[in-house]
Amino acid sequence: MDVGAIIFLLKTSLMAMVPIVLTSVGAAWSERAGVVSIGYEGVILASAFFGAIFAEISGHASIGLLGGLFVGALFGMLHGFLTVYLKGDHVIPGIGINLLAAGLVPFGIIAYWGTAGQHTLPFTLWHIQIGHNEFSPMIFVTIAIAIVTWWLLFKTPLGLRVRACGENPEAADALGINVEKYRFWSTVYGHALAGLAGAYMSVDWLGLVHKTMSGGRGFIALANMVFSNWNPLVSLIGGWLFGFFDALATWLAPKHIVPEQFIYMLPYIMTLVIVAGIIGKARPPKADGKPYKRE
Amino acid sequence: MKSSGKPGVGEILEKINFKAFVESIIAVAIGFLIGAIILLAFGYDPIKAYTALFEGGLASTENIAATLHYSTPILLTALTFAIGSRTGIFNIGAESSFYFGAIAAIAFTNIWGNLWFGLLMGMVLGALWALPAALLKVYRGVHEVITTIMLNWIGWYFVTWLIVDPYANPSNPIKTIRVPESARLPTIGDTILSWGFIIAVVVAILMYVLLWHTTLGFGMRASGYNQRAARYGGINPKAAIVWSFIIGGITSGLGGAMKIMSEFPGYAISQGGANISGFGFDGIGVSLVGRNHPLGIILSAIFFGMLKAGTSSMQQTGVPLEIVKVIQGIIIITVAVPGLYDLLKKSFRRAA
Amino acid sequence: MGDRQPIVEMKGIVKVYSDGTRALNGVDLTVYPGEILGLLGENGAGKTTLMKILFGMLKPTSGKIIVKGEEVQFKSPLDAISMGIGMVHQHFTLVEVFDALHNIILGMEGHGLFSKIDVEGAKKRLQKLMDDLNFQVPLDVPVENLPVGVQQRVEILKMLYRNVDILILDEPTAVLTPIEVEELFQVLRKLKSEGKTIIFISHKLNEVMEITDRVTVIRKGQVIGTVNTKEATPQLLAKMMVGRDVVLRIEKPPKEPGKPILQVKNLWVKGDRGEESVKGLSFEVREGEIFGIAGVEGNGQTELIESITGLRKPEKGEIILNDRDITGRSPKELYDMGMAHIPEDRTNMGLILDMTVTENSILGLQWREKFQRFKGVIYWGKAREHAKELIERFDISAPGTEAPVKSLSGGNQQKLIVAREVSKEPVLIVASQPTRGVDVASTEYIRNYLVKLRNEGKAVLLVSADLDEVLQLSDRMGIMYEGEFMGVVRPEEVTIEEIGMMMGGIRYEELGKARGR
Repeated sequence: MDVGAIIFLLKTSLMAMVPIVLTSVGAAWSERAGVVSIGYEGVILASAFFGAIFAEISGHASIGLLGGLFVGALFGMLHGFLTVYLKGDHVIPGIGINLLAAGLVPFGIIAYWGTAGQHTLPFTLWHIQIGHNEFSPMIFVTIAIAIVTWWLLFKTPLGLRVRACGENPEAADALGINVEKYRFWSTVYGHALAGLAGAYMSVDWLGLVHKTMSGGRGFIALANMVFSNWNPLVSLIGGWLFGFFDALATWLAPKHIVPEQFIYMLPYIMTLVIVAGIIGKARPPKADGKPYKRE
Repeated sequence: MKSSGKPGVGEILEKINFKAFVESIIAVAIGFLIGAIILLAFGYDPIKAYTALFEGGLASTENIAATLHYSTPILLTALTFAIGSRTGIFNIGAESSFYFGAIAAIAFTNIWGNLWFGLLMGMVLGALWALPAALLKVYRGVHEVITTIMLNWIGWYFVTWLIVDPYANPSNPIKTIRVPESARLPTIGDTILSWGFIIAVVVAILMYVLLWHTTLGFGMRASGYNQRAARYGGINPKAAIVWSFIIGGITSGLGGAMKIMSEFPGYAISQGGANISGFGFDGIGVSLVGRNHPLGIILSAIFFGMLKAGTSSMQQTGVPLEIVKVIQGIIIITVAVPGLYDLLKKSFRRAA
Repeated sequence: MGDRQPIVEMKGIVKVYSDGTRALNGVDLTVYPGEILGLLGENGAGKTTLMKILFGMLKPTSGKIIVKGEEVQFKSPLDAISMGIGMVHQHFTLVEVFDALHNIILGMEGHGLFSKIDVEGAKKRLQKLMDDLNFQVPLDVPVENLPVGVQQRVEILKMLYRNVDILILDEPTAVLTPIEVEELFQVLRKLKSEGKTIIFISHKLNEVMEITDRVTVIRKGQVIGTVNTKEATPQLLAKMMVGRDVVLRIEKPPKEPGKPILQVKNLWVKGDRGEESVKGLSFEVREGEIFGIAGVEGNGQTELIESITGLRKPEKGEIILNDRDITGRSPKELYDMGMAHIPEDRTNMGLILDMTVTENSILGLQWREKFQRFKGVIYWGKAREHAKELIERFDISAPGTEAPVKSLSGGNQQKLIVAREVSKEPVLIVASQPTRGVDVASTEYIRNYLVKLRNEGKAVLLVSADLDEVLQLSDRMGIMYEGEFMGVVRPEEVTIEEIGMMMGGIRYEELGKARGR
């Protein structure tokens, strides 16, 4: 393995970790507040599409990123409304969102750009040059978001209250904390980050919109969230690890040493092992996924 | 339905909750409504599109055959979700049990080219693959949404490897080897519809009988409503959950096997598993719209099958076929609204 | 006491729930600053309801509340806290993964949402508070790892941190060991010396005698009276708490009880939190008798019944049914061996509310041959007939056999459960709170039916927090307190006061001593 290959792997894993880390961090925050969602896959896909449109209309890729954030937040409000205020099931809306996006995006690609299945953007986000390699500023933004979110969650009153809502909403309610408000905005935040992740993929990393480009990353992010024990800072490491395996598999594939599928499988096996408590103990917030009704 | 002793239409209607039925209809209507708005926004004609869609699904024997043919796999995967739901668990592992059913069909019919053997092995592998999630739930209390999602991906990668390596077709390596002629599902008449559809409907009816007419099913439903009361009633909720996963694995495994064994003309798994993926997820939608009831699922699966069958006709009017997925997604989100019927009644009353 | 101004006055408090239950019927309560006031009463007397109103968790239907001279109307506990009133509930509201410090400052972290929590500062303030009051709590251990007594202190600190000067404690010693109880009392005395006012809700006579300055006794939603603890005796308090004018006794032909059907030998059962709920209990129930277990809820009755009916495994000891060892067996086995169980929780255990009357009528019977067409397949026709029979025999009012059982009234639901259990043709019927929340007519019906069963030679084990019921029905009764029987007596051989004293923790052998002072 030469230096060039190592650098390639590292660089690819950094670029690949962005959408996963962003979504994991958002999902972790949302679940810490007690709201489960499995719809991030759909949000990533949809905001990749809408982000690209925002970028093209405004002429700036960064507007595209903001657009993705915005679209994600809208989905978050929909999910939050269904689960927090209407006290509905937490898993079903996600299934609907995934399906909706899976249909809306290819439909939109043809309807808006006239091409079938894929559209390449005329421009992408500016990158930073370091030596022969270029890095996206989003890598640093992602790291910053992970750190800031972790800090907010564990060091501030905001995070304390959010975590109380997810562990024991009755206790929080008894102390005057508005559980519904905290839960609602937490899931908006979670989905907004997933929206940013999606826009990053189209407007920055890959420079195109493809009808299946989310590629399971929404679910990988959920695996990463569990794997990182709902901790945003650890998600950074976990997300990088998932990205690394992704890059490793791409690199190994033409060499035919181990079938690439087995490498792709590893992150999911790892997550299963951890969540089964065989190694370490990953424990979700106690009131996660349970609608809270005041007696 | 002989074993239940003269149920008749009355009992069936009692079992199908009227409100739930109406809610599904409302969700479907809203889905089509919003779909129409989106179509209009992009300059398409929704009336033309929908007419073509329905005609494509229903207008001729061929079309009806296609509708029923497409409804078969999703009927079976929907049952998996429904049985889980009735036992109080969220089993979304139909997707991977389906994969294993399909690959089992390929593998085992090439050992012994017998139709029933192929179907049996599909069920067995589907059930076995469902066990890890079941055991983790019952012995370690791990939430099944997480485990089944992970297992779906692990299964996917494993099966896609099986497709390109051990079971690849030497003359056409992007597909698998084919199901031998002796093991293929015979078709009904001259259409693409195979006897698989009949088998699927029979399985659905059996699931109904299981849930509402057997001691095991009674235990499963009781556990799904209230585990404490179930225990008090002499039922073992853990056993009920394990059975739920196993039976769910059986139906999806059967679905996967039948899909390949009726896949005219190739009778093989195609590149990248394209013709065996997504059925588990589609099944969830079918089950939700069918209110998690085997008989409702038969209707719901036929409806969704009709949408699929009508897609190519609709495409010919120039509308991108993905609008159907959009409509499906909206239907599911709408069905997720708890107490939809009462909610709408209240808001209409307020508006009046 | 003459010219002290009350710190809290509750006048004419009435509380009627939406279903018509009258929990409080015009209660007046006066609390003086710096005292420890005991609020004594049985289950359902209304003490917790009254305090929940004072703490802003419930709104009174009518009446006035005056705190520190000001008339108040609380919309939520936060309002109560801002007026200096705090409450520690029987079931703690702690976030288990947080440490004590964070549990205490939650919601009152002291500064903006987005700025760093000043952990050091909070620690200093809390340490000072703890030093002043002379009780300590480890601040940085997750509370789930703390013993229950310490968790309770965290709850108390939570209130004190918010500067409450009136502290309400609801049955605080229910979850404590004797040593922890003593420690708690030391804390309360210290708080009192710091000028805090304490309202101590309890049903335990000896504790009330030990720690309180005055005692207000409540019975059936009304205040019976208030006494100075110094001038009271356990006997007096018991009489006030439980005093009955007339106990209507059901006609019971004297019956010579036969052989023991149920034998419990030295039973030890642990509760959900690992505490000893049942401590070495032994008793037997014979053919043709009703054995009643009286006592305030929470003294181990639930765990005892659960271990007898197969829903909880005992730690030690034996349970024998009809000469066969049933210790630790499953409910199904027990039903097959001739046991029936009317559970205390009818809506969450005895019935599955979303299922139909027919389905519920065979819950616990579904594998019996009579209801099977062939092995494993249910014969609904027979089940429906069975349901109809039960409805007729017990005069149950139901829209039909296929109606969801939740559409039945409480009384009819309970009758259905009784009917079903009796249809099992058991040798032993375990009935737990069989008439709780049930209308008068159904109550009478059920009680008469239990006597009928006894007359027919069945063995009946009755557990009830309704003392009247136990007295009416039992041939023999055990009074349960903290996991043990204070005495096993015949109802006609003891006075009401003696029973009250046993319910409050005084053993039968020591009743004579407690009578004097």
